[in-house]
Parts: sequence; structure tokens; C-alpha cells
Amino acid sequence: MANSKPLQIIYGDGTLGVTGPNCHYIFNYSRGGLESLVYAGKEWLYREPKPTFWRASTDNDRGNGFPQKASQWLGAELFSVVKEIALQVNQKPISLPLAPANNRYTAQEFAEEIQISFTYETPTVPTTQVTVTYTVRSTGQLHVQAHYHGNRQLPELPRFGLEFVMPTLATGFKYAGLSGETYPDRMAGGVSGTYQIQGLPVTPYLVPQDNGIHMASHWLQISRQSTKDNSDLNRIPFQLKFSQGQKPFAFSALPYTALELENASHQEDLPLPRRTVVTILGAVRGVGGIDSWGADVAPAYRIPGDQDIIFDFNIAGV
Amino acid sequence: MSQQNQHQPNLKWLDDPQVFRVNALPAHSDHCWYRSSQEAAAQQSSFRKSLNGHWQFNYAKDPRQISQNFAEVTFDSSNWDDIQVPGLIEFAGYHKFHYINTLYPWEGHHFRRPAFTTASKQDAQGQFSQAPDNPVGQYRKHFHVPVAWQNQTVRVRFEGVQTAMYLWLNGHFLGYAEDSFSPHEFDLTPYLAKDDNVLAVAVFNASTASYLEDQDMFRFFGIFRDVTLLAQPQVHLEDISLRPVPSSDLQSGTLTIQAQTVGTLAGVTAAVAVKDATGKSLWQTVTSLDQIQSGILAQTTFQQIRLWSNDEPYLYQLQITLHDATGHVLEVIPMVFGFRRIEINSNKVMLLNGQRLIIKGVNRHEWNATSGRVITSANMDQDIAIMKANNINAVRTSHYPNHLTWYDRCDQQGIYVMAENNLESHGTWQKLGVVEPSDNVPGNLSQWQAAVLDRAQNNYQWLKNHTSILWWSLGNESYAGTDIAAMETYYKQQDPSRLVHYEGVFHRPEFKNRISDLESRMYASPDEIETYLQNNPSKPFILCEYMHSMGNSVGGLQNYMILLTKYPMFQGGFIWDFIDQAIAVKDEISGQTVFRYGGDFDDRPSDYAFSGDGLLFADRTEKPAMQEVRYYYGKF
Repeated sequence: MANSKPLQIIYGDGTLGVTGPNCHYIFNYSRGGLESLVYAGKEWLYREPKPTFWRASTDNDRGNGFPQKASQWLGAELFSVVKEIALQVNQKPISLPLAPANNRYTAQEFAEEIQISFTYETPTVPTTQVTVTYTVRSTGQLHVQAHYHGNRQLPELPRFGLEFVMPTLATGFKYAGLSGETYPDRMAGGVSGTYQIQGLPVTPYLVPQDNGIHMASHWLQISRQSTKDNSDLNRIPFQLKFSQGQKPFAFSALPYTALELENASHQEDLPLPRRTVVTILGAVRGVGGIDSWGADVAPAYRIPGDQDIIFDFNIAGV
Repeated sequence: MSQQNQHQPNLKWLDDPQVFRVNALPAHSDHCWYRSSQEAAAQQSSFRKSLNGHWQFNYAKDPRQISQNFAEVTFDSSNWDDIQVPGLIEFAGYHKFHYINTLYPWEGHHFRRPAFTTASKQDAQGQFSQAPDNPVGQYRKHFHVPVAWQNQTVRVRFEGVQTAMYLWLNGHFLGYAEDSFSPHEFDLTPYLAKDDNVLAVAVFNASTASYLEDQDMFRFFGIFRDVTLLAQPQVHLEDISLRPVPSSDLQSGTLTIQAQTVGTLAGVTAAVAVKDATGKSLWQTVTSLDQIQSGILAQTTFQQIRLWSNDEPYLYQLQITLHDATGHVLEVIPMVFGFRRIEINSNKVMLLNGQRLIIKGVNRHEWNATSGRVITSANMDQDIAIMKANNINAVRTSHYPNHLTWYDRCDQQGIYVMAENNLESHGTWQKLGVVEPSDNVPGNLSQWQAAVLDRAQNNYQWLKNHTSILWWSLGNESYAGTDIAAMETYYKQQDPSRLVHYEGVFHRPEFKNRISDLESRMYASPDEIETYLQNNPSKPFILCEYMHSMGNSVGGLQNYMILLTKYPMFQGGFIWDFIDQAIAVKDEISGQTVFRYGGDFDDRPSDYAFSGDGLLFADRTEKPAMQEVRYYYGKF
């Protein structure tokens, strides 16, 4: 590496700042998570990304009683909290440099790699943990790994992944993967390719429900034009790219959270779209289809609660 | 009973399942007739005049509020409203939209039991004719008949009126009809005036027919399909039956044309000409009609035939021209037919043209989000195009006969049709998910048998010449008994060339040897299908409904498709269903066009979004699941 000290680290009192080439990250200790993700001066986060477990119930989910069985994951979606933060600098664990320990640092602190992990505890019975590990590499690329710790007393999950809420509405997205909306049990008809989507289309099911999943995706590029920064009048489009780690991922890019979809009984009940909600998923439950009044999703397409789920992906500016 | 020569209407017919058609002309083939071959080529018949358009309308909240004498010529209807025909009374704003699935629409409002079940006929008196919840649409239409029709027999055809209609011309009672989804014709000739005529119709929301029309759908009423005047020449082919039968080796084929004539036949001849699809003449003959009131008009064998199928829907063109004794053309009747053979072989596998048939089907309700069951030609063309584009090869007309031209389209495009009767009595035998048939109709009830046989006859007689129809379906979810067995017998007697389908016999296995050539199930899981197929199955297996496409669904199609490769007797099925039944309205808050479903119109009780199960959204855009259907249906 030509630059021997590519990442500048700001050991703050409440946050850890990381400045890389054309990028800047802020990890918040008290809020727990990645509070700011800036590429080329544009903020990409509205709130900290968080593990997502719940999907807006589909008609088939309702018919077979899955939401009742899985309802603990609705609580987990809303109320999981960070219990532990661990930091590694240049792959060496260090204790979290909270004040006054951080007094030893200066305005000129550099590192090759920063890794910070947030361990969430779910309000399930019993509880379990999800560890989200962010690694900022010297290139400025952000690697993200999410690890769900299985527990045999926990019910099947609706999904597992991370939810990113972005401050403004995307103008569209581009991805490499399968055509159309796909689910594990409905992806054979998806044609591999690179697809450009205008806006953030919500599949207009009569009753709003989970939609817009794209299985087996290699990368996803979100495009926005506007920010919430009152001093930023620039409307030149800018992009953020998610790319696969060890395996392809599933994603959705919608203007709504699962809860907003869950709450609506009609498309017109949905709020005016104003933000971008990207979920990057390591596990997706199938939609089923035998009937809508009891038949479960085939076993191969369910997400057992007792098995660990680990997946990873990368984020970078474009 | 089917009654003739009734001169006075009686509201009690609404309460009596034994009265379902009065003075209506017998159902017959749906052929068109023209005054000349030029007219036939242009498909513009001067024997035909549409009565679609503006009609005068009065909405009566119940039978006691009907404007009396409204059928009289002198009746003052100047304060009546204007309504579009065809159109539904709900969409015109007079009556509340209501969606409900199995429960009858009066559930929670009125207690009713079908006559001759747990209620006697006496108990059922006034059940509809004096019901406070039975609104009536009263219609009036002024018309003139063309001058050229003087001295001709003129009938009026109502292609679809829901649920029960009484008809008058110039104050004279003409007749009564039920069976909402079949055409009904009445002879106008005796009362036709030279100049102004007034047709008057009273359309009742409910009658005993309602028990037989408990389909899972928005419940509508009104004149919802075309109304047409039809004149006929002095001699006319009232009914034509084409029987194109391939030889056992499928190389040659014999066409038999049977006809029923009306008029004075002396000296009249019928010229019959058959051309291939390219217009090349294959056969011509002239038959004298002198001796033929009813019977075989012509018959011939073609040595080299091309078969009709989904891959190649090859249709032959037939033209029948009647000439009078002086050689003048009386009428020209163009038709099409195809050669194909549907059968079950000794291995109990269903074959089409000698090949195992795989049904890649879909159930289809007639639907338009802005007009309900009033659909346009463009809607039908689009539906066919979507089917073809997505490798769908079959349609079940769930659960009633469709618009007549739908079957023409299926003939032309090679869509296999399961032609279903207008029959569903789900609410009389399944209560809260449990089989509880104590008030089931038609069941074994003699008093209900004629009504359902009439429905079978309407379905058969109007549609029998459509090559695309491979199966007659006795109805949907009506349980089973001797009445449905009698429907099966009717089809078997009339039509040895097609198969008969009925799923509801699943609940009455003792009728399995009398009802349905196919083992048909709905929503059986792949495991249940395998269990059937591995246990000495007696009939080929199809799914008349599967893959319930409600909301975000159609997952696991693969598990059905792999069965196609494992079991020859598994022959595919019909996805439920084609298009979401939702209503487009202008949102009160945003002003945007939005889609509403059951319960959104203060309609209670309701089954809410349960009618949104299409592969298409209500505006005919494809749901994401369609690519999965296209993929798997394209593989087989």
C-alpha cells in the first residue's frame, strides 16, 4: 500500500470517527452502531443500521399463523439493544477508548484497519445475540458481517439481515442478480442480469406486505440526488454500492420499513415516501403458495431459529 | 320448471327453485347469421341491432317499492334516471358494493334456508319476493326495428343479467329468466310495433338462483352483458352442431353438421363450403332442406387433416348459405372448427391428439376494475395475450360461462377451456370450514334438479361448437348428489367427444363412479397428490385450483412441477387465479386512483382482500410471480 497510514482515527468522547479516502464513518458508542456513513461528502444514513428480523406479514403468513408463531421477532425488530461494543485497531483488540482513556490520543491518529462490532441482545424469550461487525479497510471500503446466534427455543425467523435507512428518497437502483421480485421458493424464473430500476417501486399488493426482495444478488448500487444537508444544493446524482462478500445476498430497496408496510391495510395508507430503506439479507423465508389459509412454506424455505446465520457484504462509495 | 305460454308474471317465481325460465327460447348454438357473404366477411350483420347504450332506470329498494305498471307504453318515466347498458347497478351508484366468499350475501342480515331443505316451500314463500333486502333495477328502453325487418321474426338476446329478470314488450309480459351468466332470448314478434317499442325489464338482486350463484366474488346485479335484437330470415338455422371427429390414427377426420331449422322449408337449400385456414376450398355440397327439420345437414371426411392444439390452433372455415327456391340468399353462417381428440387411455392418462396433455392453466374470473364484470373486447384480447406470453395453455371459466366471444378467442389462440357451469352453492354445505350439508342445494333434491340441468343445458347448447372446450365442468364447490350426477349424465348423453370435470365429488366418494372423468382437487399439497398417485389411482389427476396467488405468493411451484415428470397421471392444473378482483376508486383523501376490496364500502360481513388472488393486479399489470409461472409453464 503506497499510503502507510490511510485511515485517520478520531477517538472521540462519544464516537469513533474514521476518515478514509473520500469517505468518513462515525460509530456511536451510546446509540450503538454506525451513525454516519459519508462518501464524497454525502451522508448515507438517517439512523444507525440495525438487525432486521421481521417482514411485513404476507397474506400467506397471515393464513398459516406464522406472524403469531414468530411474533417475538417483531419485538426484536423494534427493541433489540446493543449490549457490547468491541474494537480492534490493526487487528488488535483494544478496550473501548472512552474518556478519560482517550486522552492519550492526538489529532493525528492513523490505522490500517479498524474493526468495531456491536452485539445486540434481542428481547426474545430466551434472548439471543446478533453481532454486527464493521471493518473499515485501508481503501476506505466498509466490510460488514452479521451473525445471528441460533437458539433452539426460538421460533423460525421471518428474515435476517441489516436494515439501512437512508435520509432521502433514492432516484433508483441498479443491481446484478435476478430479474423481478424473487424469494427462495420463487426464483427459478428470475433471469440473471444487471437491472436498472427507476425509483423505489413498492409491489402494489392489495394489502401492503413484504415485497421487493431480490435473491442471489452480487451487488446493489443505490442512487440518490438529494440530501438533508440544508447547505447542499447540489443535485448531481451520487451512489452507494453494496457488494457481495463470500456469497451473494438478498436485498430490498423500498421507501418503507417492514413496520410501515405491516401497519397499512391499503396502498394509500402508506405514508408519503420520503426515505430509502435498504435491507441486505442473509436469510429470507419463502412466500409459500399452496393456499392462503394454512399451508406453510415448504421446510427448505423456512429459517430455523436454532441455527446460526452468518453473512457478509461490502459497502463502498462509487 | 321451464314454462312456456305464461302471460302473467308472478313474483312468487323468485321464491320457487322450480321456476327458472318462463317463455325463454331454447338455448342454441352461438353462431352468427348474416344477410350476405359480404356481411359475413365484414362481421356486420344487418339481422342484428345492438340495444346497448342509455336506458331509463329506476332503482327500487325492494320488491314492494317497484313502480307499478312501469312496463306500459304509457307509463311516465320522465323522472327516471339514465343508466348505461351493459353496466352494473352497483357501479352506477345505486347499491352498495359487497364482497363475500362462501357466506351468502344476506349473512348477518336475514335468516334464509333454501326451499325444500330445512325450510319447506311454504316457509320459503316470500323469501325473495317480499324481502326488504332484495332491490330491483327497473329498466326501460325505447327502440325502433329497422324497416328491413318488417314481417320478420325478431328476438331479443340478453347475454348476461344478474340475478333474475322479468321482461315486457309494449306492456305485454314476455318472460322470466335466471342463470345470470348464460344468454337468454325472448321472441318479440307478437307484440312488436312498427314504430316505437318499449322494452321493460325488472332485474331482481336475489332469487332462489342466488343459492346456486354463491361464487367467491363481488356480488353484483344488473344487465351486465350485451343486449341485442336479432331478426331472422324466413328460413333460419336455429341451432347448429358441428362434430369434427378425427379418425383413430388422427390422419383423417369426419365432419358432421347437424342443424335445426325454423321456417317454411319448401325449396330451400343449404350450400355448405369448407376451406382450410388459408382459404383454400376443401369441400362443397348443397343439401335440400325439404326433409330436414332437425338432423344431419351434411357430412364428409377429410383425408388429410391438421390437428388443433395449443401449439398450432388450426381452424377450418365453414360457411353455410341458405337459398330460397328462387336462389335468393336467405342467410349466411360462417363458423370455424378444429379437429382434436381428448380422451383417457387405458393407462388412465388424459391425452390430447394422442399425446399426454399437461394443463398449464389458470382460473379466470371476468373482471374490470372500473366496471366489475362488464368487460371489454380489449380486456379479453389482453388476457389472451398475457396467457400466450406466459405459456399458460388452459383456462377454467371459474365459475360461470363467460362472454361468448371469449371462446372464439380461445379457439383462435389455442387456449384449452374448461367450460364451467354457473353453479356454486358453497354456503349451503360448508360452514366455518366444516362440511355441514344439512341445507345443501342442489344435493339430491328433485325440486332443484331441473334448475341445475337447465344451467348445464345453457352451457352446453351455447358453447358446444367451440373446439377449445375440452372439458365441461359441472360447477364449483357445490358438494355432490344425484342432481349433479344428473348434470354429468346430461353432458355424457349430449357430448361423447369431451370429458366432464367436477371437483366437489371429493366430498362424496360414493358418487365418484357417476361424477367426473378426472380426479380433481383444489389446493392439494404436493404430498397429498403423491399419496393419491401412489395408491392405485382410478382417474387422471388434475388440480382445478392450486397456487393461491393472494398477495405475495406463488412460492413452491417447483414442487408441483416435478410431479409432472414423475407421474404421467398427474396432468397439471389451474392456478388460482388470473386477476385480482379489486375496484378502482378515487381516494377521498389523496385524489389518486386506488384499489379497494371487500369491507371498503361498509359492506359487512366481508372477506376483505380474499378476492385479490390474481397473477395480475386489478389493472392487469403482471404481479412479480408471473415470471415464475412463465418459467415453469414454459418448461413443460
